Amino acid sequence: MKLHYLKAIYYFGNQAFEGLTTLNIKEHMFILLNYFPAICGRFRRTESGRPYIKCNDCGVRFIEAKCEKTMDEWLEMMKENASIEKYLTPNQIIGPELAFSPTVLVQFTKFKCGGMSVGLSWAHVLGDAFSAAEFMNTLGKVVADEKPNRHINLAQMKTKSTNTKSPIKIMEDPLSIKRVGPVGDNWLTVNNCKMEAFSFSVNDTQLSHFQSKISSKGTNFTPFEALSAVIWQCIAKIRPESEPKVVTICKKSEQNKVDGNNQLISVVKADYPIVEVDPSELAALMKNASFDEREKIEIAIKKDDGVSDFIVYGANLTFVNLEEVKCYEFEYRKQKPVYVGYRLDGISDSGAVLLLPGPPKNGGRTVVAILPEDEVIELKSELKSEWFMD
Amino acid sequence: MPRTSYDVSTSVKLKYVKLVYQYLVNNLLSVVLVPIMGSVLFKLLLLSPDEILNLWESFQFDSIRILCSLFVVVFMSTIYFMSKPRSVYLVDYACYKPPISCRVPFSTFMEHSRLILSTEPKSVEFQMRILERSGLGEDTCLPPAIHYIPLAPNMEAARQEAEMVIFSAMDSLLEKTGLKPKDIDILIVNCSLFSPTPSLSAMVINKYKMRGNIKSFNLSGMGCSAGLISIDLARDLLQVHHNSNAIVVSTEIITPNYYQGKERSMLVPNCLFRMGGAAILLSNRRADRGRAKYRLLQVVRTHRGADDKAYRCVYEEDDPQGKSGISLSKDLMRIAGDALKSNITTIGPLVLPASEQLLFVLAIIARKVFSSHLRPYIPDFKQAFEHFCIHAGGRAVIDELQKNLDLSAENVEASRMTLHRFGNTSSSSLWYELSYIEAKGRMRKGDRIWQIAFGSGFKCNSAVWKCNKTIKTPADGPWFDCIHKYPVHIPEVVKF
Repeated sequence: MKLHYLKAIYYFGNQAFEGLTTLNIKEHMFILLNYFPAICGRFRRTESGRPYIKCNDCGVRFIEAKCEKTMDEWLEMMKENASIEKYLTPNQIIGPELAFSPTVLVQFTKFKCGGMSVGLSWAHVLGDAFSAAEFMNTLGKVVADEKPNRHINLAQMKTKSTNTKSPIKIMEDPLSIKRVGPVGDNWLTVNNCKMEAFSFSVNDTQLSHFQSKISSKGTNFTPFEALSAVIWQCIAKIRPESEPKVVTICKKSEQNKVDGNNQLISVVKADYPIVEVDPSELAALMKNASFDEREKIEIAIKKDDGVSDFIVYGANLTFVNLEEVKCYEFEYRKQKPVYVGYRLDGISDSGAVLLLPGPPKNGGRTVVAILPEDEVIELKSELKSEWFMD
Repeated sequence: MPRTSYDVSTSVKLKYVKLVYQYLVNNLLSVVLVPIMGSVLFKLLLLSPDEILNLWESFQFDSIRILCSLFVVVFMSTIYFMSKPRSVYLVDYACYKPPISCRVPFSTFMEHSRLILSTEPKSVEFQMRILERSGLGEDTCLPPAIHYIPLAPNMEAARQEAEMVIFSAMDSLLEKTGLKPKDIDILIVNCSLFSPTPSLSAMVINKYKMRGNIKSFNLSGMGCSAGLISIDLARDLLQVHHNSNAIVVSTEIITPNYYQGKERSMLVPNCLFRMGGAAILLSNRRADRGRAKYRLLQVVRTHRGADDKAYRCVYEEDDPQGKSGISLSKDLMRIAGDALKSNITTIGPLVLPASEQLLFVLAIIARKVFSSHLRPYIPDFKQAFEHFCIHAGGRAVIDELQKNLDLSAENVEASRMTLHRFGNTSSSSLWYELSYIEAKGRMRKGDRIWQIAFGSGFKCNSAVWKCNKTIKTPADGPWFDCIHKYPVHIPEVVKF
């Protein structure tokens, strides 16, 4: 997971940060970081070359920024061009000097109207989106002077997946990951084309309309399955020469409340052309995909003691179910965020689609798709024409 | 080699001899007078009452003689009391405690250093080596402007740091002593490297709305020993002004002076200097005598500026790239040693007990008469003082003084721990050290304290205080939340 980066942006109205100086904000973050020693550390390499985090109290990089637009103007601009959101988050990768590269960066951008956006850049190697959201929510608790209910545990105990077989010698890598050429100390995915993100929201009515349209034979599909099936088909339509027959699914693991990379990673293979089939079949495939590949992945990585480099997101077209990420629970001085955006960086060429909860006012879901930039416009028009989504 | 019982008994015998010698010489007057008075009293007791009456008559006292002698006695005592210097009391003091968000752990310092000096890896390596051996801990603080990458030091930020440090210390002091700002008669502020117009003392007067006829002074450029220079100035002023008090504020503002170049001799201060400040209330009022913590006994100032090498050993200048910084010369330790020697030569006779002074004189005579290869006798200052506050200029300074004065680890503990927890806070470090001793509950009534400070020039200043009342462990102060962790063992080299 080390080549992937999670970006989160929380937009707050003027009351949340009114009258606060940088020093006030930093003071709360210092208290917060007492509970996250691993985040404050930096990477080193063992003699064998395997990277590890040294908890040396180096800290989180803090960036102050100013925007000349008001927050409403900005959100309007985002509707046309979502990629401008990258200016609200720090975009530094880990490397070239591992020992001096922060894994988490935070950017506070002040808008002309007094609103503030909190942009988080989180190295996926520390944990998944659930852990990142937990980090931000804990900040909210610290600001409210509540004691976070966290134990400082450095040793992450991973539970084994339920499919325990006798150890078979697996020669090839699992489908969900892709081996990439040695990246050395520059932890960055190299793409053949520029990736662009775009997001759209689906409100509750649209969502239920979707689900009912897709359901067949009495099986009800979750919003994730329904939307993913639809988008899978749309992307297959815009990639006629290389239909994505294999798709990776990432969703929250039911066990393990500990921070870290705990997502269930499974793979869905379709042996028939995607374009013609009914989306409900695709949704059914996704529903039944339960084989957790994590153990296979660990074996593949352990083969050379964790020195090689792999990617997960974008190895195949990846669908990430972040419906249960508690992103709207981050409260700063009792103010909830107006809007929250999450995206992933370091996605390889096959692209990824994230499903996030929608703003509490509207309900529904927010879908973020990160694809090669030529495909974005085609997907937008496809979705509009076929499914009336914009 | 294990000590044999012979060695042990010899050293015990020597110790007793030393104790007897010290008692005899220090109490010479009583040792001589007591037997004489005893024999006189004995003789008197042997006489009969009539003989005593005859003795009394022979003195021929009459009213005029009695009146004259009484007048002489009163006259002499008046002259004595009037010419006696006024006692100066330290009522209380407060040290600044920086907020946790200004903390700079080693790794943060190195990361910043690496990013700012990205073109000079050798200088970064050098800074790391200095930091490893510096004796500083991970809790020392730098002002907010220095936390930016790249640094953002401007006048506004420097003023903000000054306000943060000085006002915080002053508020704390005024609260502790219950003093009203309008009652302050003398104000002295010393800050070596930041001297804006209007001065920092004017800034304090403006903030606290002090009286129009306050006597204010601002000392700048006088280095790390300026704290004791301010105390000396306050003492002199309190001799002239009757029934007055004085506030001394000692600090060093780091924001404008963080060196941004690559010269090695100028990078060392970056690694050692940290945020800190102290405010001290002195008074010569009789009313304050009861509640004062300490009484000032001596201040001794030694200046080696006449020697060119000493003058240039801590020198602020521009480096070849035009960036200004303070360069420390390689002779620093030697010059500090010399300055210390001249200071203790002056202070020795004032504080050492007679026994040590006699030994010292005899040793000098012996060296002159017999051979100059004899080791010079270093007087045992542990007999003159219970506590030592050595300016926490750096680990090397404390090591050097410990060796020169033959001090134990406990004597220098306050200095080492202050260096570890707060870094080199320049003129205010002596007050953090004093605060440490109080926090440890070691300060008893009658204890004498020696504060030694070194500074650019090259100066060595000493102050001697006497504890006025046993001090209970304070519930506030810069050490209250971490004193239980101290003393810590500070390794020679910290690997990080």
